Amino acid sequence: MRAARIVITARTMKWARAAALKLTGFATSVIACKCEAAIERELTPDETPDARPGVSVLLFTMDSDSLGKRLTERIGQTVLTCPTASCFDGLPDAPDRLPAARALRTFGDRFQISKVIDGERYWRVPVMEGECLLQESFGMQKKGVGGGNFLILGEDVDSALAAAEAAVEAIDGIPGVILPFPGGVVRSGSKVGARGYKGMIASTNDAYCPTLRPLTTSALPDGVNSVLEIVLDGLSPDAISGAMRAGIDAACRRGVRAISAGNYGGKLGPHHFHLRQIMGAPA
Amino acid sequence: MSDAVVLALRARLEGPLDMSGVTPDRCAALSRSEIAALEVWVGGTRSAVGELFDIRGERALRLEVEGDLRDVHGLGAGTAAGDMVIRGDAGREVGARMSGGLVHVQGRVGDDAGQAMAGGVLRADGNAGDRLGGAAPGASKGMTGGEIVVFGAAGAAPAALMRRGLVAVAGGVGPLAGRGMIAGTLLALGPIGDQPGLGSKRGSIIAGAGVAVPPTYRLACTYEPPHVRLLLTSLRRRFGFPCDPGLLAGPYDRYCGDAGDVGKGEILVWTGHARSPVV
Repeated sequence: MRAARIVITARTMKWARAAALKLTGFATSVIACKCEAAIERELTPDETPDARPGVSVLLFTMDSDSLGKRLTERIGQTVLTCPTASCFDGLPDAPDRLPAARALRTFGDRFQISKVIDGERYWRVPVMEGECLLQESFGMQKKGVGGGNFLILGEDVDSALAAAEAAVEAIDGIPGVILPFPGGVVRSGSKVGARGYKGMIASTNDAYCPTLRPLTTSALPDGVNSVLEIVLDGLSPDAISGAMRAGIDAACRRGVRAISAGNYGGKLGPHHFHLRQIMGAPA
Repeated sequence: MSDAVVLALRARLEGPLDMSGVTPDRCAALSRSEIAALEVWVGGTRSAVGELFDIRGERALRLEVEGDLRDVHGLGAGTAAGDMVIRGDAGREVGARMSGGLVHVQGRVGDDAGQAMAGGVLRADGNAGDRLGGAAPGASKGMTGGEIVVFGAAGAAPAALMRRGLVAVAGGVGPLAGRGMIAGTLLALGPIGDQPGLGSKRGSIIAGAGVAVPPTYRLACTYEPPHVRLLLTSLRRRFGFPCDPGLLAGPYDRYCGDAGDVGKGEILVWTGHARSPVV
């Protein structure tokens, strides 16, 4: 997948977070949302280009063209509109660049001003609050990895949810990785295509649905009554592996019968994450 | 190949020496004897680097120049890549026509430093003379890119006819700052002399201390310009550029002008200490 890192800063963390939450809204799956995005971590003023509190966001799409469009749409609707917020590229060393914010300058109706600082172009767009500062181009990671996942097979919903929350907490803040689903957790894991409906891209993962155990070829061991999935997107396979290790380690707790993963016949993408290898055991 | 090419001036010069074209990117491909043969001019007399300087090193993208260089002009002029370090005060036209690389003067620079610069970084640890980052005689525009960072003060008419780029001065600057600016940024943390921004079309003059704003500029508002914060943070982090933390947040008065021209230029005047804590 193609990935970008967006650094949003604002006068206070409250407003940086507000912009980041909106920018990453409705971005759980490329299937229906055209992109996957989430907050990577919060940044201290020492870590941001303008020495203000900030939030780092990762955004993934299936192709370069789409990444540019999503950045333009989302920055335009969430950072440009958010009081005191500014927006910077978080992948300055990436050789592939997308001029995603160039189109947004025209909101300034020819009152916008360009500034080049340390070789990077920024746009000062006049707004009612004052000025919005946007970096023009964003680095693109061409080897981003989407759809890393593992499944938590619990005895009941309480134990599965507690394990999933522990996994999310362990992964939260690991650089280069995001969990794009609500709270980092997916209850409606899917399989590729559908049995009963032509043209469906994805449908319920019936092999892991406890309510369908007698009706389908179930993959669930005895005693499993609830399954939750952790889906990860990362800037590299190593980032995904490290985060999966931390998450699985945290998820292995009372009430969890097994940890598995969606394989999809090995057809989801070129990267395969073998759980036993990740956890350091022989495959 | 060496880590650096070092040119040490042997004796006091009998006239002004023009070193234009002796640049780190040029020396990177030359042997010691080839560097010694590079042509320079003493007054109106043709000479060679090897006749005036002791030379150490060869084929390096770093060039160091030592000695009493106050009468040596055009140091680093035309640099396109590499690093050049000038140990001490330098003469006129330092870093003129640069298009890349870094020229670091560990002292003062004379008049016309960074003239017609198009890229790269010119850094002076001391004061600068007149026409810093200005235009070549008769040219319609001055700097078209790059950054000039001066840790002292600068003389008259800095950033005149600037088309693009940055001139940042930690101290004050003389009169006619940013005259006829077409775009780009002039930052002065000290007082700015009379008649700044005359005939400016679109450039930005940022004043960290006192400035008499011309009557052809009109006050727009008092606000916290985010690009000033970004610029100052960048300068602090990259060069250790000295600035009061209050300057990052502002507030600044924004004046628009010059009304006698396009009028999309601005003078931003820092109006005091930050309203909120600056981290």
